[in-house]
Amino acid sequence: MNAPVRFQALTVSDLAISAGTTTIVRDVAFTLAQGRPVTLLGASGSGKSLVAHAIMGSLPTGLSAQGVIKLDGEDLLAGTPAQTRARWGRTIAILPQEPWLALDPTMRIAGQVDEVHHHLHGFGSAASSDRARADLADVGLAGREQAYPHELSGGMCQRAAIAVTHAAGASVVIADEPTKGLDAALRDGVVERLLQEVEQGRLLLTITHDIEVAAALGGMVGVMLDGALVEFGPAEQVLEQPRHDYARALIAASPTKWPASLLPAAGEAVVSACGLSKRFGERPLFDELSISVRRGEIVAIVGPSGCGKTTVGNILLGLVAPDRGEVERTAGMAPTRFQKLYQDPPAAFVPHQTLRQSLGDLLKLHGLDWMRAEASMERFGLGRELLDRRPSEVSGGELQRFAILRALLLDPVFLFADEATSRLDPVSQKDVFAILIEAVRERSLGLLMVTHETALAETVAHRILKLG
Amino acid sequence: MSTADATLVPITQRSWLTPSRMAGLALLGLLALFALSGPLLVSVDPSEQDFAASLAPPGSDYLLGADHYGRSMLARLAYGARLSFGMALLTVATAAVPGILLGLLAAWRGGWLERVLDLVSTVLLALPGLLLVLILLAFAPGTFGPLYLGLALTLWIEFYRVTWVTAGGVLKQPHVEATRLLGFGTSYILRSLVLPEIRPILITLSAFAMSTAIIAISTLSAISVGLRPPTPELGAMIVELLPYYAEAPLHVLMPGILIFLLVLGLQLATRSDAR
Amino acid sequence: MGSLPSAGRNRMKRLVLARLLQAGLVMLVVGILCFVLVRALPGDPAMRIAAGRYGPDANITEAAEQVRRELGLDQPLLVQLGASLGQLARLDLGHSVVTGLPITKELRIQLGATLWLSGSALALSLLLGPPIGLLAGLRRGGWVDNASLGGAIVLRSLPPFVLGLLLILVFAMLLGLFPPAGYGTWRDLALPALTLALGLAAVSSRVARDAVAAVARTPYLAFARLKGLPEAVVVRRHVLRNAAIPVISYLALQAIYLIEGVVVVETLFGIPGIGHALVHAVIARDVPMVQGTALAMGLLFVVIAMAVDLACHWLDPRPKRT
Repeated sequence: MNAPVRFQALTVSDLAISAGTTTIVRDVAFTLAQGRPVTLLGASGSGKSLVAHAIMGSLPTGLSAQGVIKLDGEDLLAGTPAQTRARWGRTIAILPQEPWLALDPTMRIAGQVDEVHHHLHGFGSAASSDRARADLADVGLAGREQAYPHELSGGMCQRAAIAVTHAAGASVVIADEPTKGLDAALRDGVVERLLQEVEQGRLLLTITHDIEVAAALGGMVGVMLDGALVEFGPAEQVLEQPRHDYARALIAASPTKWPASLLPAAGEAVVSACGLSKRFGERPLFDELSISVRRGEIVAIVGPSGCGKTTVGNILLGLVAPDRGEVERTAGMAPTRFQKLYQDPPAAFVPHQTLRQSLGDLLKLHGLDWMRAEASMERFGLGRELLDRRPSEVSGGELQRFAILRALLLDPVFLFADEATSRLDPVSQKDVFAILIEAVRERSLGLLMVTHETALAETVAHRILKLG
Repeated sequence: MSTADATLVPITQRSWLTPSRMAGLALLGLLALFALSGPLLVSVDPSEQDFAASLAPPGSDYLLGADHYGRSMLARLAYGARLSFGMALLTVATAAVPGILLGLLAAWRGGWLERVLDLVSTVLLALPGLLLVLILLAFAPGTFGPLYLGLALTLWIEFYRVTWVTAGGVLKQPHVEATRLLGFGTSYILRSLVLPEIRPILITLSAFAMSTAIIAISTLSAISVGLRPPTPELGAMIVELLPYYAEAPLHVLMPGILIFLLVLGLQLATRSDAR
Repeated sequence: MGSLPSAGRNRMKRLVLARLLQAGLVMLVVGILCFVLVRALPGDPAMRIAAGRYGPDANITEAAEQVRRELGLDQPLLVQLGASLGQLARLDLGHSVVTGLPITKELRIQLGATLWLSGSALALSLLLGPPIGLLAGLRRGGWVDNASLGGAIVLRSLPPFVLGLLLILVFAMLLGLFPPAGYGTWRDLALPALTLALGLAAVSSRVARDAVAAVARTPYLAFARLKGLPEAVVVRRHVLRNAAIPVISYLALQAIYLIEGVVVVETLFGIPGIGHALVHAVIARDVPMVQGTALAMGLLFVVIAMAVDLACHWLDPRPKRT
């Protein structure tokens, strides 16, 4: 290890970020101190990542930061670009989001740590490679020095990125969405790593949308909304008794805090299957699986990614044929009364059609009334101005609600929600489920949901099927 | 920057008609006008000889001069441009129609059809296209038939592959599955989902194939295996004038410049903006 | 860990195997077309085959009779085709109908000129294209980027023979720097090699520029900077190799342009190579020569493509996505 310089505090005050004359982030102030990490929570588009890049001095071209960012008395915003760049790695390091994309795909990971010792600190090649090996062993990657990033798991890539920041010797670490794309088990490992950074005397700023991560890290928590820091305080206080409306909504949006949904007893089965088997190439996904969904019932399939839970739903919809087994649907039901919601809302819409076009074509095809669609839009909180936008110009939450509206117009008896809220922020997730639960209650809809979040399934579903 | 905050920064939509496309279309328009109306305006037979005017410089009695036989360069260039355009258009149409239809069919049905077509295109692609055309030309050197057949035979593959890959990519997307679940049929999916996605790339590809055909026909004529003098083909005109390059370098270059302008126009008209 | 190098070796084997298969297809396509050609041309095929086999000086009528008996031109066409392809597989290419020399001997002489031309054109294009592309990609929108874009558009609109003609007019006629045609010294090679190299570099400079621009947008390049590496190290260690992969893999496509260009440029500049011979064989309808030269050019294309595949495999450790 290099002899580290440890800092007492990093203080951000009156930080604003602007693009030309428009201010997109304003009034951000907080202090990172020894042993007291800061976590910024917020939905995507709230400006939290921009704050991280403002501290780093790596804002995209066209954006500029105003205000004061002091690291033990030195104003980071006052320096020249060369001074800012000289701090990268040596003083402040950023742990990139999706680290498997942040490592050079054509270079072995030892080389990517090694070059930091060699080019930043001027060690000879033998010394650099010894140090690189030690850094990698430190994060539990001994023996994998010669691996390329694509040969490592997401969690391992995350640790390799941490080894890089250790090699660089930074005492201020900014973790930008460190758990993005990782499932629950790996998430806990990353949080543990970050806490070790704090114990070793580094100042830690974490950017996340995940309340669980914020709770586990402790220290101070800030909540960002539309480019402003709306709430800031000790973790327990912010997470237990938020003062700002949005902060309160955000905290309440965690599935564990949802009110119990009162659902009537389920009716007859709309779709059932028994003895299902499916293999993916050589690998069996599931064997002798039986499942049924009844009217007015919510069934959840839970399991890690790649366990075949989406495939089960697709088999029930008739989109995929099982290798063995029978699927039975209620007789005499039109195929269009079995519908699906997709994980990535924009992917379920024709990219070059405006919502008005796609909705219009659908209504025309089924001879439905435009007024009915507009009434539903109002009920689902979808403004009429959305109709003239393309799917890519609408937020994920709104688009998913629009997808539900589209499906409900066909009066479905069965709806398969495939990770339908996993790409949405907690508040949007809560809105989407409120609509879904209402539809189940009012229309006796059978809902099959697939998710990797056990907490969500436990809150919402009547029955849970565990796979994998 | 993080993609998460990308929505904060306003995006500006760019128009389809970029300056380069505008320039390309204007150039193509002028050339088409020249090719179509040139012969009418000049009303000179491109094969009419006037030995007194042999290698006359541009500007005198002949606007663009006359070749070694005293034939009007203007008339011959206009006919040459028309011939190049016409032959290239015919070749590309012959390649594009089956290529696109088979590509759509392979993407839609898959199975044995896809495998057979894949095999055929792999076999045809094993050899650089010009070599295939040359061997076919050995059957009947100096005629358009083998030239046309050989070029169409190599060009259809690109249309097939691009259509197959692009349409196949679109058809695999969730929004196609979603559309089908909503009750829409095959014709709606092909018309409203697939076609708009593949149209721009097919237009670019057609322009590219036109350039390839124009260059190939003139090149093969210039190396004496394509069309032969006295046909006013641009490449053939160059070989014919080549012995006189010391006296009349401009005459030799003129057909070359015309080919250059044709291809340049096609390139500019379909150029996508640099990222 | 232990299984990884062998996975790499497997991939390499597959790449080589695919190109060997392509070489087989080249033989098949050329062989079948020439088989049909020999029987489609007007006149007695036995006579033509005999001339192709023993040279025009042989006692042709007697030889033709022998061919008729031996090949059994009365036999089913498929049997004849099989025999003819078998000959090709043994690289028994016969004699030129025009010169009477064995094709293999002629090809050996011509190959030198073709290799010199294509090799120097390729080398020259790599010296020009990728470095310009790198400069353009590192400063997108700068003058190098704009000038090289304009140059590339102009060069790509010029067929090789027009470009060659222009170079002859400027460098040979106007400036008198290089001879307009001929073969023997490096000065003879300068203009033809430059003709091909400019056409190749026009494309490779843009491919390199786009590759550098694409790498510049990747999160791994941002991270390489953020971890504190100086800009020169970032370019040298992270930009160059990653941007080289698309540039080199694009060379497999450029090999088509190179082979086609060699045929044209050899003919234009009078270089006694394989391409020149092919064109003349087509005009003279010397079928054995057409077959031999087309085969040689086709195989040269496959060899270049295989070399490109192997270079990419060595540079890029990632498994190929299909």
